[in-house]
Amino acid sequence: MSPLHARLRQLRTQAGHPQLTSPLATARAGCGVATAKDHTLANTSLSPEVRRLLQRHAHLKRGPAYLASTDRDVPGIELSPGLRYTETCVDWLKPPVIIDAGFARVKPVHHQRLLHFDTETTGLAGGTGTRAFMIGAADWVDGRFRIRQLTITSMAAEAAMLRTFAAWVGDDSVLVSYNGKCYDAPLLATRYRLARLANPLLGLAHIDLLHPVRRHWKGQWENCRLATAERQLLGVVREDDLPGSEAPAAWLTYLRGGAAKNLRRVAAHNAQDLKSLAGVLLRMAGMV
Amino acid sequence: MNALPDRYDTADELVLRAPSDGRTLAQRLSKRYAARITGAFVVPGRKGSFAPLPEDLPPALATALRSRGIEQLYSHQAQAWAASQAGEHVAVVTPTASGKSLCYTLPVITAAMANRAKALYLFPTKALAQDQVAELLELNNAGELGVKAFTFDGDTPGDARQAIRLHGDIVVSNPDMLHQAILPHHTKWAQFFENLRYVVIDEVHTYRGVFGSHVANVIRRLKRVCAFYGVTPQFILCSATIGNPHEHAEALIEDAVTAITESGAPTGDQHVLLWNPPVVNPDLGLRASARSQTNRIARLAIKSGMKTLVFAQSRSMVEVLTKYLKDVFDHDPRKPPRIRAYRGGYLPKERRAAERAMRAGSIDGIVSTSALELGVDIGSLDVVVLNGYPGSVAATWQRFGRAGRRQQSALGVLVASSHPLDQYLVRHPEFFQGATPEHARIQPDQPLILLDHIRCAAFELPFNGDEMFGTEVATPWLEVLGEEGVLHREGERWEWIADSYPAIAVSLRSVADGNFVVVDRTDGRQTIIAEVDYSAAAVTLYEGAIHMIQSTPYQVERLDWEGRKAYVTRTQVDYYTDAIDYTRLKVLDCFDSSHAGAGEAHHGEVHVVRHVPGYKKIRFYSHENIGYGPVNLPDQELHTTAVWWQLPQAVLDAVFEQRQQALDGFLGAANALHLVATVAVMAEARDLQKSVGSGDGAWFVSADRQGRGQLRGTDGQPAALAADAPFTPTVYLYDAFPGGIGHSEPLFQRREDLIAQSVSLIERCDCRAGCPACVGPVLAADEHAAEARSADPQNEAAEAGTPKVLALRVLALLVAL
Repeated sequence: MSPLHARLRQLRTQAGHPQLTSPLATARAGCGVATAKDHTLANTSLSPEVRRLLQRHAHLKRGPAYLASTDRDVPGIELSPGLRYTETCVDWLKPPVIIDAGFARVKPVHHQRLLHFDTETTGLAGGTGTRAFMIGAADWVDGRFRIRQLTITSMAAEAAMLRTFAAWVGDDSVLVSYNGKCYDAPLLATRYRLARLANPLLGLAHIDLLHPVRRHWKGQWENCRLATAERQLLGVVREDDLPGSEAPAAWLTYLRGGAAKNLRRVAAHNAQDLKSLAGVLLRMAGMV
Repeated sequence: MNALPDRYDTADELVLRAPSDGRTLAQRLSKRYAARITGAFVVPGRKGSFAPLPEDLPPALATALRSRGIEQLYSHQAQAWAASQAGEHVAVVTPTASGKSLCYTLPVITAAMANRAKALYLFPTKALAQDQVAELLELNNAGELGVKAFTFDGDTPGDARQAIRLHGDIVVSNPDMLHQAILPHHTKWAQFFENLRYVVIDEVHTYRGVFGSHVANVIRRLKRVCAFYGVTPQFILCSATIGNPHEHAEALIEDAVTAITESGAPTGDQHVLLWNPPVVNPDLGLRASARSQTNRIARLAIKSGMKTLVFAQSRSMVEVLTKYLKDVFDHDPRKPPRIRAYRGGYLPKERRAAERAMRAGSIDGIVSTSALELGVDIGSLDVVVLNGYPGSVAATWQRFGRAGRRQQSALGVLVASSHPLDQYLVRHPEFFQGATPEHARIQPDQPLILLDHIRCAAFELPFNGDEMFGTEVATPWLEVLGEEGVLHREGERWEWIADSYPAIAVSLRSVADGNFVVVDRTDGRQTIIAEVDYSAAAVTLYEGAIHMIQSTPYQVERLDWEGRKAYVTRTQVDYYTDAIDYTRLKVLDCFDSSHAGAGEAHHGEVHVVRHVPGYKKIRFYSHENIGYGPVNLPDQELHTTAVWWQLPQAVLDAVFEQRQQALDGFLGAANALHLVATVAVMAEARDLQKSVGSGDGAWFVSADRQGRGQLRGTDGQPAALAADAPFTPTVYLYDAFPGGIGHSEPLFQRREDLIAQSVSLIERCDCRAGCPACVGPVLAADEHAAEARSADPQNEAAEAGTPKVLALRVLALLVAL
């Protein structure tokens, strides 16, 4: 623990703040990385001289230690440093050429214009501090369902991911998502803005399936989540599915040098979400 | 012996025959009540200083101004225009009702008209924000200027927010919204920020202490976000009169500011009377109530045909005073009311109606809380009566400034309550005359506050390399946040990684989020009625405590320490409670020292351990101690900064026959110093604490049941000092926040002044042996001794030992040679 940290921890406790938990510091102490020397400075005063001393001291320190894991395998090819790309084509449902999207109050649309997308993010807090670490997008190519996924393994690769995804979006693309109007699209808009890139989703038609699903089945199903919709409408039952709420931790663990296992499960979850988007869309279009 | 309220008829002799001015009323009052008036002075009026409407003003705006009756500007408005057009940050420091808002309205509207430049206004309260938007809309409509102004606060509905972000030319908000809603979502405001030209911050004198330190950091974050969008907005700040407006404005925005301090608005003479209610019990220092005096003065003024505003300290006092005045003036229900109340808690519509009635002149008397202190426009007034000292000299002037718009002489009367601070100030008219109101202090680099805002800033935009945050390199703080797991470092970049929204957890009104909430369980409902800082909880929220909110007593029934909740019910009692506070201090580091008379004064860091073993029940007004209760709470620890005074053992041994006397003297001196220091740094009394102990933390002194200094060891048990043990009693004033909030350094700078003022406070106190207004609670034994002395002038021994005398003896030793 750095002296400044110890100092602040002490002050915060005195101010009635609950004890700080520092998973990294604890882990490091367990690994014997923490140095006893750190504590000798912990009770020094806040005079400017000491503050400067602390800063110099902190300057020389190395970054945090990682809980190293040997399982570091993230699937796909590396498009650029820190940006992994996977592409799979599946023989999935057979889409009609022109899809009647009237159920979502959208004009009939050629199936090749559809771009299904879903992001995996570092949390649900919203605002400028939440980011997508994975963007999945799927479309119909020659009658087959193409699933493409971008995953970043470093923060710095975010801009490259955003650029790559932007290239997949056409001027006449029709977006398909589940709660994307309120969640994924605004979040990506924020990320494009922070990366100083143009937002490719701006102004596109967008079929957000959550709303028509709610209109039809609210009150009949226990909830209107995508997992419920896919089970009710498509009979999909997921096995070994990583709950969406665990996605942030999966990525963070990998980012800090931990195992990639759960990150791979996030990708599988994301791919299934994309398939279910297409399935629910076709199912609802066919009902009209 | 009772000099209780005079009867109506004698008072009515003073009613002026013809409607008159403040001067005549001041003279009559001074003559009739000479004994109650402790200070009378006149702030001479000023002729207006005008300037033509600037030629570079857009013609449509000039036309709009003319159609609203504004043919020319006051000189300060013209100066503000010139400075803003020169690209400078501006601070406008002029009295209430001097037309401050035009100082920022003109450049803002001009920029909005010329190139759709945006402006952000920050006001400390929602009501002021709404007033400001109403004013802007009127001006806009008068000239069809096409400028859109909106309030953006917690009440703004979700569907309106998007439109405001995109289309608002002027967004009027408050610091809390900027902190929690705008900055953490700045990308949604991208268009607004890209075109942001002006940031207007009004009432900056309210941004001081903890709140001000937070706001300074919010401004740092605002500038950081602005830099991301490639803009450097100009700041226009407005302040009421404080001691250091220029310095304070620069401290808030951390940039050079052009200060405009000469008001060009004309004013009449302002007569001021300081009024102390008559003593009704000289032994206890007990005086008639401020309420009765305020009522009398207001009645006289209204009967003399003068528009009168009464400020009361609490909502219930507003209602009481309103009732008294209505009983006299509104007894005929067929006539429109002449008296109105105005306070928070009324619906906006009611308040607007009261404002309109005041402006129209149909109301003769209005009774208000501080709600009217800030810029709300209510038209011309002749007399302002303050029922009790508002807590600062600056606020006193701001309230007095409500009277005297008609360029004729106005009258302001401050009626002192029995509160020690009131009693101190009313006896020091020079405090008001000296025209050096309090300094506003902020400490933006207070470690916990700084850490909270670096946390919020990292959420808003990643930190890069050796980026500065304010005046500090952010790196060590980022490392702390990295260890905490909320930031991730990649190369030279620190990115937010946690799934949380840090601004929600940071309140701009407290140092950390360990606050206690006070839950009212009266009538079976659970309502949160107040929040108390963690550091104050142990001395104000123990079970059995009487907790005063808006002067209504609540009793604490249960304290949930872990859950940070205190459950209270409304109660009717004639006493208040005072925690018995065993505080030990140990000096950790001395930053600075100097001679103080025969002793020394120091400033440095201290370790405080506070133990609250119980509390005293003290009767209102008489301050008698009527009982005790136990308290069972964990000890509080605090690392903070302090200023302290010490006298060497040899000096004390030479001056005091017994060590007990020296201890009593130090306790009394501590009480007086604390009172004086609270005023000097514009602090809340609970933000600054006092203690007497040894220099090394080996023992401390608390008042025992007789009010005598009792020496206690580190275990809190009474102890006696061996005759040969070192004896260096020390009086400490310390900052009550972990890490300090910057009170102690200015106190050290003013150390000589503080000692001198404490001496004069005690010397001028009307009590005989000591009272809460000078050296501390009433001591029955000493009262008797003092009485014996006055009965028998030869009995010198009796008076020699009073706490007053002992405290003065200690202070005399510390007076600079």
